[in-house]
Amino acid sequence: MSSRARRLPAVPTLLVILFAVLLAACSGSGTTSIPPDATGSTVPATTASPTPEATPEPTAAPAFPVSLTDDEGTVVEIATEPQRIVSLSPANTEILFALGAGGRVVATDNSSDFPAEAVDLPDVIAFEGFTVVVDVEQIVALEADLVVAAGLGFTPPDAVAQLRDLGIPVLVVYAPTVDAVYADIELIGAAVGAAETALTLTDAMRTEIDAINAAVVAAGIPPRVFYEIGYDGTTGAIYAPADASFVAEMVTLAGGEAITTGDPNSYEIPLEILISADPEVILLGVNPFYMPTIEEVAARPGWAVMTAVAAGAIIPVEDVVITRPGPRLAQGLRNLAAGIWPDVTLPPAP
Amino acid sequence: MAARIRSRPLLVAVVAVVILMLTLLAGVGLGTVPISPAETIGVILHRTLGLDLGITWSPAVETIVWDLRVPRVLTSMVIGAGLAVAGVVFQGLLRNPLADPYVLGTASGAALGAAVAVVLPIQVAFLAFTLLHGFAFAGALFAAWLVFRLGGGGGPGGLTRLLLTGYAIASVLTAFLTLAMYVSGSELRQIFSFLLGGLAAASWSRLAFAGPLIIVTCLLVFRRARALDGMLLGDAAAHHLGIDVRRERRALLALGSMATAAGVAISGLIGFVGLVVPHVVRLIVGPRASLVVPISVLAGAWLLSAADLVARMLGDIPVGVVMALLGAPFFVILLGRSRVRYEL
Repeated sequence: MSSRARRLPAVPTLLVILFAVLLAACSGSGTTSIPPDATGSTVPATTASPTPEATPEPTAAPAFPVSLTDDEGTVVEIATEPQRIVSLSPANTEILFALGAGGRVVATDNSSDFPAEAVDLPDVIAFEGFTVVVDVEQIVALEADLVVAAGLGFTPPDAVAQLRDLGIPVLVVYAPTVDAVYADIELIGAAVGAAETALTLTDAMRTEIDAINAAVVAAGIPPRVFYEIGYDGTTGAIYAPADASFVAEMVTLAGGEAITTGDPNSYEIPLEILISADPEVILLGVNPFYMPTIEEVAARPGWAVMTAVAAGAIIPVEDVVITRPGPRLAQGLRNLAAGIWPDVTLPPAP
Repeated sequence: MAARIRSRPLLVAVVAVVILMLTLLAGVGLGTVPISPAETIGVILHRTLGLDLGITWSPAVETIVWDLRVPRVLTSMVIGAGLAVAGVVFQGLLRNPLADPYVLGTASGAALGAAVAVVLPIQVAFLAFTLLHGFAFAGALFAAWLVFRLGGGGGPGGLTRLLLTGYAIASVLTAFLTLAMYVSGSELRQIFSFLLGGLAAASWSRLAFAGPLIIVTCLLVFRRARALDGMLLGDAAAHHLGIDVRRERRALLALGSMATAAGVAISGLIGFVGLVVPHVVRLIVGPRASLVVPISVLAGAWLLSAADLVARMLGDIPVGVVMALLGAPFFVILLGRSRVRYEL
């Protein structure tokens, strides 16, 4: 064989040596595999069914250290009361502020718009249409000691795993039902050392929601209600609540018979199905991304045949408080109920 | 000048290594959180060599530099190198200048594996790898194997058959992928971000898996450089040169697919590197595989880590976008200026 074949290849050898040095050095870094903080769950966790209930600590015992099970079934250990909290969804931000922990929140997401103090906090997660970008470096730089993330993939699971690997406790919460919202508020309350405040808050919410529900149930037969989440003018796609979804439950609580898409995974309803369902009331979920006017809705081709359009029962409602699983849910229910039953006197707000 | 550069491959290699080191430093030193160069160097020296230069830094800085940035930059280098070498292999094997690491269905296989893992309601984590990584890796290898078997097993002749089988299998897998995306509901976001590709999921433990795998693969490819050269001349000529065409083809395909699969499992589908880097390297140092392979390792490593750095600084836009925007014009210019008409 030629001598060229015998000679050690210079460049690849260089690379291998460099690499071996770095790998040997990193063997002491100790951040391999998942730390005892968050056990990699081998528990099957389905995403379409209701969440396992959280277990808040009893208020009489010392609040920390505490071991909580988040909505994905992961056990999260929080050693001391968190002082630098990061919220990764608008609902979590509202819950944290409502629990009185707002002063300890150091960063939120780019769509946290309530309360006003939350808007100015730095954003560490950006929801840009379809993509989600998490700035893990920034979260680490802020020395966060608790991160409250959103479930259902809204916070990328990779980012959650990365934060947990770095030793930061991450609580993943998502609420597909109203009861789950109470559970989440109590869970977050236990996590930040505000368990009593959380119970007070959920009690108040429960009372108000139950009172509104009682008032509308007594008012008569629930009308068929179509809650329009969105409408795409170019494709004609109509976005409606999915079966057994949060919005559908809210509409039912507000004394309406919710028209849904017929599929727990789909939020789109074909126009024919909607026409044959014939809503008596159409509620338009108005938010910064979707602001239809009553006239343009009534003018849509094929919509004039619906009872609601003929009777002029098209009512815009503020979407955020209705669909955000946070502490303002009672207000959202009130808006819904006022839209569906405009002539019913609802119990006064506390 | 091109001839002078061509006759000094060692110079090219040294320059490439220097640029690579500089990019490594830049990649570790820059990010969304401003960290001074002194602190960066201090952390690195402390963690690699145990030196303490009297610089102090907060634990957060150490975590950011050592646990977030260094593995990310190193992972981007390793994956860039792996994809570039896979590109060299596939272009040489298939004698096709448009071949890239994904030409034999590996992209669709990996994407389908990832989509299935996302849609399945099972959460499994083994060390640092989730079901998604495992399925993506397995999917890529499965697709490559399937194409190889159905495409004639790499016998003499039959390159066209291999390429077309690759296209057919990729179409089928993509169809299943589309179905999986359709039923994924709210998980679509995750599948989509895998398709876009990115290095945000880099960590030491994942690097410990992909790194040695890709490096060993590159070394083994380098050892087969002579076979690669021979096969460029055609099967008959290679056979006359004493190359066992069937065996070498099988081995090289396996190595190329392995490097691609290891990269894709961690970073998703990152294009451009595998296709363009081998051509650029050939335009600079000539077609000899024993030069092209090692220089491609360096060039691929540099391209992906530099693109990732730029992507990070611009707010974490997809790395593929940056690479294409910066690399494609450069490639076109290089093609235009090459004195010798460039043929593969």
